[in-house]
Amino acid sequence: MSVSIDISFKLNGVNVRTKVTPGMSALEMLRDELQLTGTKYGCGEGECGACTINVDGQSLNSCLLFAADCDGREIVTIEGLATDARAEALKKSFVNSGAVQCGFCTPGFVVQAWHMLGKTQHPTPDQIRRGIEGNLCRCTGYKKIVEAIADAGALLS
Amino acid sequence: MDAQVATTERPAAAPVSDITAVETYVAPRSLAEALELLRAGDVTILAGGTDLMPQSKTGKARFQRMLMNIQRMHELRGITEEKNFVRFGALTTITELLDSAMVKSRFRALWESADHFASDQLRNAATIGGNICNASPAGDTLVPLIVFNARVVLARKKDAAVATRTLPLSEFFVAPGRTQRQPSELLTAVEVPLPPNDFVSEYFKFGTRPALDISTIAIGLGAVRSGDRLTDVRLAFGALAPTPIRAPKTEAALNGKPLVDAIEAALAAAELEINPISDIRASAWYRRELVHNLLRRMLDRVGKH
Amino acid sequence: MAGAEETKTNDSLIGKRIPKMDAPEKASGKTRYVHDINLPGQLHAKILRSSQVHAKIVSIDTSAARALPGVHAVITGADVPWQRPIGVAKDHLPLKTDRVRSPRDEIAAVAAESEEIAAAALKLIKVVYEPLPIVATSEESLKSGATLVHGDDLIVPGPDGKPQVVHKGSKDNVAMTFDYGQGDIAKGEADSDTVVEDVFWLHYVTHCCMGVSGVLAEFDAQENLLLYSNTQVPFLHKREFAELMGMDPGRIRIIQPPIGGGFGSKLDIYPFEPIAIYLAKITRRPIKLVFTREEEFAASPTRQPVLLKMRSGCNKDGKLTFRDVETVHDNGAYTSWGATTPFVMMQTISSLYRVPNCRYRTRAIYTNNPYAGSFRGYGNLQATFAVEAHMDKLAEAIGKDPLEFRLDNAQEPGEVTPQGMHFKSCGFKNCLKTAAEHSDYQEKFRTSISKWNNGNPIKRGVGMASMLHVGGGAKIYQSDGCGTIIKIDDFAHVTLITGASEIGQGSETVLAQLACEELGLPLSAVTVVNSDTDIKPWDVGVHASRTTFIAGNSAIGAARKAKAKILATAAAKFNVEPDTLNLRAGCVIEKASGKKLIEIDKLIRSLHFSDKAELVMTTHYYEPPSQKQDKAFRGDVSAAYAWATQVVEIEVDTDTGIVKLLKVTGAHDVGRVINRLGIEGQIEGGVVMGQGYALTENLIVENGVVRNPNFRDYKLVTAPEIPEIDISFIETMDGEGPQGAKGVGEAPAICVAAAVANAIYNATGVRITALPFTPENVYRALRSNAQPPTWIAAA
Repeated sequence: MSVSIDISFKLNGVNVRTKVTPGMSALEMLRDELQLTGTKYGCGEGECGACTINVDGQSLNSCLLFAADCDGREIVTIEGLATDARAEALKKSFVNSGAVQCGFCTPGFVVQAWHMLGKTQHPTPDQIRRGIEGNLCRCTGYKKIVEAIADAGALLS
Repeated sequence: MDAQVATTERPAAAPVSDITAVETYVAPRSLAEALELLRAGDVTILAGGTDLMPQSKTGKARFQRMLMNIQRMHELRGITEEKNFVRFGALTTITELLDSAMVKSRFRALWESADHFASDQLRNAATIGGNICNASPAGDTLVPLIVFNARVVLARKKDAAVATRTLPLSEFFVAPGRTQRQPSELLTAVEVPLPPNDFVSEYFKFGTRPALDISTIAIGLGAVRSGDRLTDVRLAFGALAPTPIRAPKTEAALNGKPLVDAIEAALAAAELEINPISDIRASAWYRRELVHNLLRRMLDRVGKH
Repeated sequence: MAGAEETKTNDSLIGKRIPKMDAPEKASGKTRYVHDINLPGQLHAKILRSSQVHAKIVSIDTSAARALPGVHAVITGADVPWQRPIGVAKDHLPLKTDRVRSPRDEIAAVAAESEEIAAAALKLIKVVYEPLPIVATSEESLKSGATLVHGDDLIVPGPDGKPQVVHKGSKDNVAMTFDYGQGDIAKGEADSDTVVEDVFWLHYVTHCCMGVSGVLAEFDAQENLLLYSNTQVPFLHKREFAELMGMDPGRIRIIQPPIGGGFGSKLDIYPFEPIAIYLAKITRRPIKLVFTREEEFAASPTRQPVLLKMRSGCNKDGKLTFRDVETVHDNGAYTSWGATTPFVMMQTISSLYRVPNCRYRTRAIYTNNPYAGSFRGYGNLQATFAVEAHMDKLAEAIGKDPLEFRLDNAQEPGEVTPQGMHFKSCGFKNCLKTAAEHSDYQEKFRTSISKWNNGNPIKRGVGMASMLHVGGGAKIYQSDGCGTIIKIDDFAHVTLITGASEIGQGSETVLAQLACEELGLPLSAVTVVNSDTDIKPWDVGVHASRTTFIAGNSAIGAARKAKAKILATAAAKFNVEPDTLNLRAGCVIEKASGKKLIEIDKLIRSLHFSDKAELVMTTHYYEPPSQKQDKAFRGDVSAAYAWATQVVEIEVDTDTGIVKLLKVTGAHDVGRVINRLGIEGQIEGGVVMGQGYALTENLIVENGVVRNPNFRDYKLVTAPEIPEIDISFIETMDGEGPQGAKGVGEAPAICVAAAVANAIYNATGVRITALPFTPENVYRALRSNAQPPTWIAAA
């Protein structure tokens, strides 16, 4: 038995309260305790970006974030990217640009791109490539992902 | 709001060092509170978590009974310009370094190291204090911080008061993963003296990617150019010895001498100051070749500015 | 449903940019992969792997693990005496009983209430080993007196309780051999004016699917087995699991949730799958078993390392005279599909270019290394690497332009090769010319050479390579077929039930397009069902770039039958001949005038609700007109063949050895483009996978142990590293292909490494015959401080 920690935070706009253990990652909490499976486990070491979430306005690898550290913070996952224009533009452009194949890495890319376009609405192709350097994709070769993010930026203006 | 505290009975069977050894999780809001807990002992400090979490999953990190999250301590945040130096709170993230116009203009090599640091998601989480305390020989910000003569500020509770001491960063590292920090101390800030206005600096990190690489070698170079020579030369190496190192003999070979004539002597001196190992990322031979070829390239470039 | 005004637009879907049908779900994070499925009452399983590379198992003590609260079962080989060997050669048991031959080897497994408890239980299992000498390389393995990896018979208790030999022990470490010949090598060599010979080394890489391996297994109250599996070959595995479990295959149902990448990695049964089934049987609870990334690296199949010796010749007119190839494949500890890649390698070696005299001999050798599986390209990356290096070398030796030399020896339409392959459509020469023109290859080739000695440490180079691969299935089993069921309901909604498996490549969208093209319905009218063996008809599996071709022809067949039924109904209703009618934009139309007669849904309702009530529901089975090879490896194994040429441009930093891939210009004979968006995605993804093989990826295996089981040190290409990609499609309209299309899935990954090797030579004058071109390897070669690969003396 491990120590249990009570935490509360805002998740996709809703206040939640849950119990976590010290060693639990935010990724494990989201997937196993809160059943939000859109955030994916790809490596557990912050090397692939499949588990990217947004915490207090910053994108983070949820596999590296201690669940206990979510206390009092504001977290947005792929499931929470449902309504705003930036999220809609991104999802649409990922679909229309052919940026999705097996799709396993896609939620991580969408959440990361959402953060990137929040910081810079019209990133250059180089800025986009650098912005997603922490997200691995084995299917697409990234070209259409870069195009999708650029298209979403253009769609927003 | 007070720091949350939760406890449970310690399991008998669990090995002491793994994450299940943690009996208490705390997230203090003030330095005084954190230092009091550190004085009591048996504390593992958590900042950005980017190194600690994977180590906890693989069982590589040793955990104490208390896990202390210092991220709620606002006094450890922020970049402040003092008269002669800049103070980086220990919780300054790599993204904050990268987004700072002041860092980009005055501490160019540090800014470049932030630019080569892992990925956006990791830069948003990782802290300068964590990068220093993790004490990896390949830690990205360490080489430029040494070039800028950075000092670390360590605080501890002494009687009822907070006592601090300041150490040059170049003396802080003892071995891979080991530093001069005492268990009761917290690294609260990094102080970096402002270099002369005409000081130029460069950071080179070897890798095939812009970032998301562990340094195979890293070189930090800073100097003031005067005519055909360099003065105030400062050179540091990463991943070429058990800790990041300053290279005083190479600096001496360059300082104040006509650059064209000094380069060969500097390369020969650097050869003696580094002590690379062979691992899965590179052989020692290749690391030496890289230092030779790339230090030359950096010096050529600095000379041509 | 569509109105009259739309019938005139007649917009074909073929060749358009069609978004993938399942992409909206995936982009919203709503798609449920095997990792995301949780069944009520499920237990979590974990596997204990060997701490030794090669050892005898003396004892296994699971008592402490069994006693841990929350543990439901701990099993070893002793608990499942009825287990049977798995793999292509049936040479290993899922749970090892007497010997471990690799650190990935499975010794015990735990089912517990959580992953944490299962992991804690693994640490409590005590195994005593007696170490054996490690066979770390093929070279050591071939030495006389080498420790035998499979020297002992593999024995299990038979059905009658008596010991039964299930795999015979061998007297050497050779797992499999291939020997192919055409013409007369000695005559070919005598006819040559120039002969070149090299030894090539092709390294270990692995698939790195972003979704790690996983499975859910559950038995119902009547002992029917349900698997949620990532398999690429569900029907073959139904039969294999049935054999393993002594079950009727009819009692096994495989559901394939969307999968996080395949690339050939899921063609074989691996030990974790039967282990999950054993635990489900023993605990009578659903079992979920999912790997960690580290486990994925250590216990997944690899692209097999190959040592390859090639000797080639040509005459002074520039015609190839002979090619003699011998290879040694590091098979690893067990035999999976990797051992059979010579089937594909010999096609490239014997038939990419016309070579009258050719010999190809290979041996797959057991070692204590990770075992080799199938991986996109299936040996072709390795074979092409060597063949294309020699095309450049021979051209240089006789002073010919490398493009002209290739054109002089390239295959043409109509050719039947000595191996029996019939190239009914072949756009190879067009591929060569197009890729060369679009990349300005010849001019850049000459310019690079002129700058070899200009003193600049940064060099540029250009390199070319081409490939031949099956593009119309591959008849390696008795059947290479696929079935389709089409149901059209009262609302003209089409349910397309295909045997084909979707692994992210976009087959569901292409199949829907092909059906819509026949039925004159929009894509939105189609639901594709492709993931449940209890529903979908037979298909041999997703491999060999076959799905568009085979499943596509099957879908077209079923759609044409449905169309015939609809048109016959309409013809009767309007008192005309069926062949005067067509289906377009949701309506039956008059062919001649384009005039709309009736909406399809309305017609189907009238058919359904009449006194002669009928459903529009059809089936079609497509078997391609190809042949299984005979024992001499002769036969027209595919119904069509795909071709491609890629030209790469690179930059080499000679101070560091860093090679940057700047641009890839490709020309692919794909028969015909069905979905432009999808095919671009396949090619771009394949090119970047080929880039990883050439430049960054390297599974470091030392003494049987994977040293870099993580993405930090196993370097996949990241977004900032990708080249500019310029692709041309050569549309040869294959006569047998669906709408003229041929397979393309594997093609784009095949040429890159070979072209990069040629480009490094063009940039620097240094020929490197060993992969990967990581900075240190290239730097060593440039500074003459590398040990080039040498042929095995003992071989």
